[in-house]
Amino acid sequence: MLETLSQMGAGFINALTPINLLMMAGGVAMGIIIGCMPGLSAAMGVALMLPLTFTMKAETGLIVLGAIYCGAIFGGSISAILIHTPGTPASAATAIEGYQMTLRGQAGKALFTACYSSFWGGLLSCISLYFFAPLLAQLTLKFRSAEYFWLSIFGLTIIAGVSGKSIVKGLISGALGLLLSTIGLDPVTGAKRVMFGQAYFAEGINTTCALIGLFSMSQVFILAEKKIVKRARATKFTDKMSLTREERRTIRPTIVRSWLLGNIIGILPGAGAAIACFLGYNTSKQFSKNKQLFGKGSIEGVAGSEAANNAVTGGSLIPTLTLGIPGESVTAVLMGGLVIQGLAPGPELFGKYAPMTYTFFAGFVLVQFFMLGIGLLGCRGFAQISRLSDAILIPCVTVLCCVGSYAIHKNILDIVVMMTFGVIGYLMRKFDLNTAAVVLALILGPIGEKGLRNALKSSGGNPAILFSSVVCWVLIALCIVGILSPLFMGKLEKKATADAVADTGEDIDKLTEEDSV
Amino acid sequence: MKMKKTDIGVVAFMYLVCAYFYVQTVKFQADSQTYPMFTITLLFGLTTLYLLQMLVAAKKHGVESGVDTIFKDFQPLQFLVCLLGAIAYVVLMHYFGFYIATVIFMAAVLLYLRVPILHSVIAVAAILALVYFAFGKFLGVKLPVGVVIKMLR
Repeated sequence: MLETLSQMGAGFINALTPINLLMMAGGVAMGIIIGCMPGLSAAMGVALMLPLTFTMKAETGLIVLGAIYCGAIFGGSISAILIHTPGTPASAATAIEGYQMTLRGQAGKALFTACYSSFWGGLLSCISLYFFAPLLAQLTLKFRSAEYFWLSIFGLTIIAGVSGKSIVKGLISGALGLLLSTIGLDPVTGAKRVMFGQAYFAEGINTTCALIGLFSMSQVFILAEKKIVKRARATKFTDKMSLTREERRTIRPTIVRSWLLGNIIGILPGAGAAIACFLGYNTSKQFSKNKQLFGKGSIEGVAGSEAANNAVTGGSLIPTLTLGIPGESVTAVLMGGLVIQGLAPGPELFGKYAPMTYTFFAGFVLVQFFMLGIGLLGCRGFAQISRLSDAILIPCVTVLCCVGSYAIHKNILDIVVMMTFGVIGYLMRKFDLNTAAVVLALILGPIGEKGLRNALKSSGGNPAILFSSVVCWVLIALCIVGILSPLFMGKLEKKATADAVADTGEDIDKLTEEDSV
Repeated sequence: MKMKKTDIGVVAFMYLVCAYFYVQTVKFQADSQTYPMFTITLLFGLTTLYLLQMLVAAKKHGVESGVDTIFKDFQPLQFLVCLLGAIAYVVLMHYFGFYIATVIFMAAVLLYLRVPILHSVIAVAAILALVYFAFGKFLGVKLPVGVVIKMLR
């Protein structure tokens, strides 16, 4: 206990170095910019910035990615409030009340509420990260080869069902990713496998290139296929960005409720910030003493949605860092960042690499303060950036995708691979396949393969070893739950969105039309 | 829900991938075949399951094209210009280096997408500066110089 506390303290000391603080500020600002631009998503931003973190220390790199993640989730609310277009799906519910407040000349108040609630939601979510992550990581100490095999399958069943319209298509995406993960030399014997006759593929597909292609380059193609339209002018607001003491007291219970809700949603694999914002909004409406204000511009509505979506961030890191099971696309990309740094999720992060992990946790706490400061000071500027035309974004993001992929090994073939995955990602998104599942399979594939082959080796080829322990059966049961969870999550999301817009007359399709990837 | 004709393409593609990997995998050493075979079987099984779902949907609810929903508001020329532009950019980068290729690619795409000249100049300058400082200076990445430029030197 004392040791853990001292590690936590040391984490804060490490996180407070000038370079880390600078990176937090930069990451948050970058995240807010990405988040407030409709058409760009948090996952895309994290993927795009991944190569920048390669040469950094592991903790600094993870802090940057965490900062972009938190910044982007909050950033979505700026365009949601000012131009009625959520920058990310996580802010769809914020647009309902936030824009009404803007119409009433209270844009400053709405933005302050969003920033203040996001800050508290994110900050409180760190509590569960500190408490539950080490405990859950201990569980994995009981895992042997067979369990690791099932864990990789479980991770895939979870992500495969997220954000897709068909569970089977999600699973097909995961299986395709697993197959692609077998490209390259055999990791056990070193024998040649599928390499398309190119020595370049000896080490398999470069996960970072695949990540950038599937999340960022594919988004360029999505933007390129649509007619370029001028974005609505962001409302210029003159009211003060603050809340009265009474208003802060009013939203306090809402923030606490949304934090709990968002945190649970974050921990649950398969659910994400997009669901949490609507649940947070609905709960704030249910418990509000001023129900008549909902649909006309309620600060409780904004607070409920924003505290919930930012509370997801800390929660979603728990299964990612402990079990290696990201619950949504952004954490799948974050896990890619972790693996690229040579780290594996699990007990080692809280043992051998505890200083790094607790520095990242402390950085994640401090990021929330930067988000509050930068969010409040820069709202007006960010609002203008959110108007940036897709016509400018298309070539700019293309260049960044190419440079990012090239920077990894300084090999132009990496750009070709990234571009190929960009086209694959675009087609997958058009045909309702799941790009996040492919990425996760590329990461989990080698872990699963090692687990399967080592288990079979130790049993002399008898597959019964895969069903030999209680943990194996628990994981198999979880796989089944994972496959079925999208049915439940889909219903939950549908109900939450329907409830949220029931009395407001909002066009929910318009609010949630941004791609959830 | 009706069966989408476009999904036939998805199923066909997955079967093709399975077939290609199967043909390649049988050539591997026995030990190296285990996991790829497992994943091929998994993909094949799931694709077949989806095909069955499609057939059931077709029988119950009928068939629809799917193209009109998937490619709603699709701008073919604009998409093609951006896609080919991106491919040309990589080729240009290989021959003329990063900076020249970036200026040509960005200028061409921005011009085609009718971005005002001033905005275009600012965008190109901002990206070049960002890449120069973030990747060139901060990360120390030596960006591609280009085969032609190397020869001229």
